[in-house]
Amino acid sequence: MNTPLDLDACAQEPIRIPGGVQPHGVLLALAPADLSVLQASANVSSLLTLKPGVAKAERLEDFVGGDHLARDLKDWLAREEGAFLRTCDMGGRVLQVLGHRNSQGAILEFENPPASERETFEALYPLLRGFMDDIAPTDDVNLIANSAARLARELTGFNRVMIYRFDPDWNGVVIAEDGDGVLPSYLDLRFPASDIPAQARELYRLNRLRLIPDANYTPVPLEPVMSPTDGRPLDLSFAALRSVSPIHLQYMRNMGTLASMSISILVDGRLWGLISCHSAEPLRVNAQVRAVCDFLGQIISLQIGARERAAFAAERIELKRTETRLLAELARADNYRNGLIEHPADWLGMAGASGAAVIAEGEIKVVGATPPIEHLSRLAAWLHNHKVDEVFASDNLAEHWPDGEMLADTAAGILAISISQIHASYIVWFRPEVLRTVTWGGDPRKGDVGTPLQPLSPRASFERWKEQVRLRSNPWREAEIETARDFRNAVISFVLKRAEEKAELTEALQRTNKELESFSYSVSHDLRAPFRHIVGFSELLGEREKSLDEKSRHYLDSIKDAALSAGRLVDDLLNFSHMGRTSLNLTRVDMDKLVREVRHSLEPDAEGRAIEWDIQRLPPAWGDGAMLRQVLANLLDNAIKYTRDAQPAKITITGEERARDTLYRVADNGVGFDMAYVDKLFGVFQRLHRVEDFEGTGIGLALSKRVIDRHAGDIFAEGTPGGGAAFTFVLPKR
Amino acid sequence: MADLRPILLVEDNPKDLELTLAALAKCQLANEIVVARDGAEALDYIHQRGVHADREPGDPAVVLLDLKLPKIDGLEVLERIKSDATLRQVPVVMLTSSREEKDLIRSYALGVNAFVVKPVDFNRFFDAIQDLGMFWAILNEPPPRGVNAH
Repeated sequence: MNTPLDLDACAQEPIRIPGGVQPHGVLLALAPADLSVLQASANVSSLLTLKPGVAKAERLEDFVGGDHLARDLKDWLAREEGAFLRTCDMGGRVLQVLGHRNSQGAILEFENPPASERETFEALYPLLRGFMDDIAPTDDVNLIANSAARLARELTGFNRVMIYRFDPDWNGVVIAEDGDGVLPSYLDLRFPASDIPAQARELYRLNRLRLIPDANYTPVPLEPVMSPTDGRPLDLSFAALRSVSPIHLQYMRNMGTLASMSISILVDGRLWGLISCHSAEPLRVNAQVRAVCDFLGQIISLQIGARERAAFAAERIELKRTETRLLAELARADNYRNGLIEHPADWLGMAGASGAAVIAEGEIKVVGATPPIEHLSRLAAWLHNHKVDEVFASDNLAEHWPDGEMLADTAAGILAISISQIHASYIVWFRPEVLRTVTWGGDPRKGDVGTPLQPLSPRASFERWKEQVRLRSNPWREAEIETARDFRNAVISFVLKRAEEKAELTEALQRTNKELESFSYSVSHDLRAPFRHIVGFSELLGEREKSLDEKSRHYLDSIKDAALSAGRLVDDLLNFSHMGRTSLNLTRVDMDKLVREVRHSLEPDAEGRAIEWDIQRLPPAWGDGAMLRQVLANLLDNAIKYTRDAQPAKITITGEERARDTLYRVADNGVGFDMAYVDKLFGVFQRLHRVEDFEGTGIGLALSKRVIDRHAGDIFAEGTPGGGAAFTFVLPKR
Repeated sequence: MADLRPILLVEDNPKDLELTLAALAKCQLANEIVVARDGAEALDYIHQRGVHADREPGDPAVVLLDLKLPKIDGLEVLERIKSDATLRQVPVVMLTSSREEKDLIRSYALGVNAFVVKPVDFNRFFDAIQDLGMFWAILNEPPPRGVNAH
């Protein structure tokens, strides 16, 4: 919404220090110490026996007329607290006296109320009592407002009483009205925030009631203009007679009202709304009735406050229940994000949203109606850049983030909570655009039509004006925002707890790794030795005992073979754990050369076999040469082993250089395997063949996979039973 | 020209000792095999002190040194030999059950002349010992005493 220009100008109007009063009363500023007159309104002699311009100390009794009032005033001034209100009869003339203090002195205001309104509090009380009975059973703020409007009109005789409620942007909406038909109805109309500028709202918050009996009045100046106390204009913030801005008087006349009174409705210290009374003709309201109206304002403030708090509490409890249920699920889930996704109803319900997303740890997960994923990461970046480190709620995202305009169908409104101190991690709820038609009491955009000659001109038109509101969702309610805030704290503690657990786990793992390392170190020394001894002594025995019979020789060979394979197993296992632990020494590896060397080392195994080798040129690899040698040794060893029964055995080694990686493949025409077991192939101790058919420890492929994994590469196998096998590994380029 | 100075075998494990001796015997070396059962005894032999105070003077042709030893371990014996200017040229072969990288790196850093991981397969062990024995005891001409070999 554009801010009308007149707000700026009006906001600078000296409304607290107008330098004058309205002419329906007389104002005196006294020095509390000696009761000397500091300032007086120029019309002082109309009600008092004091001459205008007199500012020297005189006996209070002399000019206020009547010893009784003078004594009460002196008592009040001596008490140094509270406000003063007296009605006194002074020679057949009723005078109402109001007193309050500020740093510039004690301010007394004298009014001579119209004779027809000499009502007493006792007469007014039954009306208030009836009002209280009316509103007691209801929780509906609108019904309370209706009763209050009716009572205020009855008390004051204004033509129209409106209950005006501020929205979060300080536009006012007329939620209740009582009138006699003299003035037009403004019920349900909306008035722009600029109609009551911020400084006026602040003054309304401090001084709950103001009255303008006649908008055509001529202000009465104060004499002297400046307060002798501090040389500044007298602060009239709390004066009932305070003269108002000429802009406001023009506004009233444009609205066709010559008298107005407004009473502030404060809820929890905040200006919630106004009881706004208007009359087509001038109208005076005596101080008693004003006091009752103020009281009425306070009653409905309390009533509305209590009911809003109750409604808020009820809503909050309901949302909290949803939140608690969801948190319990999150605690059960393996991580909070999965927990959210698995419970979309509560996740959305917690904030009354139609879509939700969690953007964290490089991942975006959504439920319901949300903008496309690619916009969500940009939204998170925007929130992060705008230092949203707790909660952000808006029913008009596009107003804050122009890119949001194209997302309005799902995300006209968002409620976002930050769940990381460092990263752009957010949980966001979305609401779609809700097109609304708002009826303004006059075009709010026309308020700023000012000409150079008449720079401060309130809007002249109060004709109804309909506006289609776009790009807005239903507003986020306070209870929803508070629930989201609570939820944020809980999720953050989850995240922290997980991080702590992770850190603990890491520490435990490091400890375990360390233990494992020292374990494997001792195993490598102590476990290998006995196998070596068995093999060694069996060998020596065999050499020594030439006369062993066949059976004995077989037993001895079996002992030796068993110890040998157990020793090899230990070696392989150590090698396997070694591969996981040692750091990679990455260099450019000549794979052609490596294959040649490995083939050479395996020649004893291939001895006496007819193997057709088809080895093509291989691209160089980027990796740890010693580790890649192990991989090739395992793959070639397998190929040789499993082609044992093929006639002839064929082993093909090919390679391919690709954009981001290099690929190597060892294929054979051996016994192959069933693809159903392909997942088991790379596991430790996984064998697909019986030991007596094909020897081996079942570690070779697991070791190869570990090496390739450590290179951030990939290894996979294809095969058919009896149709050969092919192993392919891919290594990323440098 | 054969170097007939003794071979010092430092080995605490009696079974390994027996097997190593058997392997060395197969090489049919003329060299005397002196056995020390821990690091301290090995150093006593080398420095001609303690139980070895009365031995014939002279450095061994080669020291076959197990890594894990009681009292003073193999790496420390190696360090003492290689940091002593008068002993530095004595060839030391580390025999170990371990293929631990850190032992290997440490040994080479200390100036070991060879490092042999004892294979489970006795025949390969035999081959290794034979190669070593032949190389260090027979083929390796010792530098003149007092000349820094490095």
